[in-house]
Parts: sequence; structure tokens; C-alpha cells
Amino acid sequence: MFSSKLDRLIWRRHRKLMAVIGGIALLGTVMMTLILLHTMKQNPEPNMQIVSGSIHKWQVYRGDYFNAYSWWLVLAFWLGGLEIMHLDLRDHFNEFLFSSGFSRLRVYWAKLRMALGALLGMAAVVIAIQYLLYWLSKPSGATFTLAWPGLITSWAMGLVVSIGMFSLSWFASTIVGQTGSLIVTIAGFTLSLVGSSGIGGNILSGPWFRISRSALPWIGAGVWLVAAVVLFIWGAVLYQHLSLEHNGEYLLFPRLRVPVYVVFVVYVTWLYSYDSDVTTMVGAFIFSALFGYSWLWRPRLGEMWHQWRESKQARE
Amino acid sequence: MTLNVTGLSKEIGGQQIIQDITFEWAPGEILGLVGRNGVGKTTLFRSMMNHYVPEAGHVTVDGQDTQRVPSRQQQLFFIDTQYNFLNNYRLWELPDFFRAVYPRFDEQRFTSLLAEFKLDRNSQYRRLSKGMRALVNLVLALTSNATYIILDEPFDGLDVIIRENIASMVIDEVADQQKGFLISSHDLNELDGLSDRVLLLKDSKLVHDYNLEDIRAKAKKIQLVLNDRVIPAVLKEHSQLIRVSGRVLVVVITNYTPEIDQALKDLKPVLFEELPLTLEDLFRANLAHETGYQMMK
Repeated sequence: MFSSKLDRLIWRRHRKLMAVIGGIALLGTVMMTLILLHTMKQNPEPNMQIVSGSIHKWQVYRGDYFNAYSWWLVLAFWLGGLEIMHLDLRDHFNEFLFSSGFSRLRVYWAKLRMALGALLGMAAVVIAIQYLLYWLSKPSGATFTLAWPGLITSWAMGLVVSIGMFSLSWFASTIVGQTGSLIVTIAGFTLSLVGSSGIGGNILSGPWFRISRSALPWIGAGVWLVAAVVLFIWGAVLYQHLSLEHNGEYLLFPRLRVPVYVVFVVYVTWLYSYDSDVTTMVGAFIFSALFGYSWLWRPRLGEMWHQWRESKQARE
Repeated sequence: MTLNVTGLSKEIGGQQIIQDITFEWAPGEILGLVGRNGVGKTTLFRSMMNHYVPEAGHVTVDGQDTQRVPSRQQQLFFIDTQYNFLNNYRLWELPDFFRAVYPRFDEQRFTSLLAEFKLDRNSQYRRLSKGMRALVNLVLALTSNATYIILDEPFDGLDVIIRENIASMVIDEVADQQKGFLISSHDLNELDGLSDRVLLLKDSKLVHDYNLEDIRAKAKKIQLVLNDRVIPAVLKEHSQLIRVSGRVLVVVITNYTPEIDQALKDLKPVLFEELPLTLEDLFRANLAHETGYQMMK
């Protein structure tokens, strides 16, 4: 099945969890499809079209009863990035990989290739099953007509967003060494993207840039792709310097602490204070600065307080 | 064929754990690595195996740096007893992983050794007892057919039968001079009769590299019963007292010469008996003061 021993090793290690992620994506998509089909059957209309005419346009298709690209697949890619990078750290498979006789760069790109290959295959299977289910279970009298322009655009955009999500969780798993903290960090950042993409859209379509609303998804896709490539390359550079004595610490690369802190404070302040007054901005800055400090440095304030008090008493 | 560790240094959390470690290791040798708990034995192994990125130094196999020619790493075998991925797998699944990494992995022998040690191949690694896990680690080490095998405290917490099994298997393996072992221990008795050379780690440095054969060729352990209770000058000058019980003295003389032999016989001892020299005796005689060996006990 695999020509390279390294590919075989990585697949042997991850195949079960990849299958679980595939199962989640399939189950979620099938469940959503069945719910939509059930809703259609509950509200029968004469000459009902499951897919509207806009599928013939070169734009992402969003219909009431049909999604060309399931959001469950985006979740699967997000989970896939976490799984393949973080579990090797948590379960100490990295120790085996690092002494396996394959260079770290080769291991890194092989893992990326295997993960993306498996996820793309999974996406194809899930989409095929989803469409088949529509075709087989459509209500009597309803038509299910697809067209390449809407499908290709939706798939391309869905895959770009999926790969972007994958790159985020993959990169976060490369630099964060604690399972709970990693999930909180990446989930928080992913949720914040809903807000930041809205703000970004407003800025781009506003008086400064005057970009049309219809062009925004393509710009968004471009940003996702560039971000993914940057994160993959940056991850490769870091992976070569990963020293496993930091396993279990929040940041696997202690030198990243200050840059991460600065990015966090700037990002959160911008997110909360966009289109707001100065008071909100100052509040957001103070909150993010304090929260980021306590999260990244985790000072033991109680211990420090006791030490300070004891040293003061000793001086007296 | 040699493995060279040159100037290896590793700092963790601002503390120097190992510093400028340099030694050579050839197939056919059984090296003992001794040092007190926490002295950096495991850190040395992890740095050699590329788990930790060292601040300085490198490991070469036949002159090739394992960082520049990573495939050379396949000639080294080490299972970290504290951090390894085996926990989630059943024993029959393990060859799938080791076969991909060690080109000469012997799956047939792996299966037969599991059967020999009465290890159920369907057992999960994490469900095994400490001794059974140590045995599985050794079975993997032997069947990997790697040239340089590192065993980290392989006898820790094991009963005497398993200890003897492991020791005899290690000795058998090096007989054809194709494999070498580096065995760490904080207990010298465990390495007795097993190691050819002993490396001693102290204060994060490699302070001694002893060839035991050379030392044994020159040293003797003698039990003497003298006519009076006064310790003669020849013993004060040339020996390390191991035990004194009334007039019975047990001494180790690290450089036993015909002159010393004659001087001892001139004392006309009531009893003069040569005793088997253990590794612990040698260390007491050679290193007791300078290495803090007594603190290891």
C-alpha cells in the first residue's frame, strides 16, 4: 500500500484515529442529510427542487436543503491536525520517530502528506455518500440536479477552509504541549475567527479598500491558503528544533512565549475594540495583557506572596 | 566500527545536566554507565537518541554524524522506560513499528522469545508488570539487531531470576562481536561480571572511563589474618581497607606487584587468602573518595 517505510509507520500509528475522525464526519453529514430530507418530506411542495438554480453559478452554493460541502468535513480536518501532531507528542511516539533514522524534516512532511491525503480521501467518500443519500432518499416528485460551477466552487472553497483549519490545529499542536490547554487555545482562536473574519470583511468592503462583497470569499480563501502555507513551513522549521524535555509544558518552545504574548494582546485588543470607544479598547488591552500573562507565565502568586512576606519578616 | 560521543552537553531549565561527555564505544563491548540518581544518565541517552536537542556535541557512527546522516541512528536502540509509546499496544502489534525502523528486525525471534518468557502476545504493554515490561524491552532490543543497544536501568526492581536471564542474554549477544551494550545502573552489583568498561558520571561530567580488564589484571582482593592488631605499613601505603574485623583484614590492592606480595608474605600472616574481586571492591579502592561512590549506596 505504501512504498516508503516511514509512510507505513505513520499510517500504522494513525489509521485507527483517522478512521474515527472519518466516522465522525460521515455520521455528522449523514445525520444532517437525513434531518434535511425529513424536513423536506414534512413540507412537501409541487415540483420541489432540492438544489436551487444558483448551483449553475461560479459561487459557493448555500441552499435551504442542500450543502455542497459539509461543515462536518471542516471539523474533521480541524480534528485531524490535532490528532496527528498532538497525539504523537502526548503518547511519546515522537521519541520513536526522532530516533527512527528518518530526518525530522522528512518525518514532518510525511506526516503532513499522510494526514492531508487521508483527510482528502475521507472528504471524497463523505461527499459521495452524502450526494448518494440525497439521490436515493429524495421525496417523490422532488428533483436533485447538480451543476459543476456551483459544485467545483463549493468544494474548492470548502477544502481551502478545511486546510486552513487543519493548518491552525496542526501548528498549534506543534507548539503547545498540554492537551487541555491546547484544546482551549485552539478552540478559542477558532471561535474568534468568526468575529475577526466579519471585521476583516467590513474593513475590505469599507471606504478604504472598496472591495465588492462578492469578491470577499475569494480573498478569504487566498488568506486561508497563504496562512496555511506559512504555518506549514514555520512548523517545519520549529519541528527540527523540538527538544522533548519541554513535553508537558504549555509552550514547547520557550522562546516563543514573548511573541505569542504580543500577538495575543494585539489580536484580542483589536477584536474587542474594533468600532468601539477608547474605554473599550483600554479595557480589552488590560484584560488581554493580564490574562495572557497569567496564561503564559502562570505565576504562582500565592507562593510569591508568602515568599515576599517571609523575606520581609526576616529583614525586620 | 565505532560509535563516538563527542562533547555532548545538555541544559534543562537553566541547569547543566550533562557537560562535555566524550567516549568511544565499539561492538563487542559492554559498557556500564554508573552514577547517582539524577546525575544525567537518562539525559545522556535521550540526547544521544535525538529526543533532546543538545546544546553542544554530536554522536557519530563510523565517523558519520547522526544528525547529518540520520539513517545511522538505526544502528542505535533505546527504549525510554519512562516515556515510550508502547503502552497503547498489544505485544503482537509491536513488530509493525520496529520492523519499519530496524531493517534487520527479527520478528520470528521476537515471537519465540515472547513464548520462551511466557509473555502473552495478546497482552497490552501497560497491563504488564514492571519485570515483564523490562523483559519485553530487552526482547525488542535483541530482536532489533541494532549494533549499539542502550539499556537504562534494565535490572531495576527485577527479581533475581529475571536479572540472571537478562545478564546471560546480553553476554550471549556480544559473543560474536557484532553488538555492543551500554547499560546504566546506580547499583554496581548489577553490572558485576557483565561490563568490560565502566563510565562514571558525576556532577554532570564523565569523570572516569575504566577498562575493568586492565584494572583486574593489576588488582587483588586479599583476606589476611595477622599476628597482631597493628596494620602494617605496606597495607597502609598500598591498599584500600574493605573490612576490618579484629585481626581479620580484607584489603584491595590496586597495583599488586611482586614486591608487595613479598612484603605481605614477610609478615607471616596466619591466613593469606585471595578473594574474588568485585566491581564494588574496585570502585571502593579506586574511587571512594574522589567520586562520592559511597553516597551511591
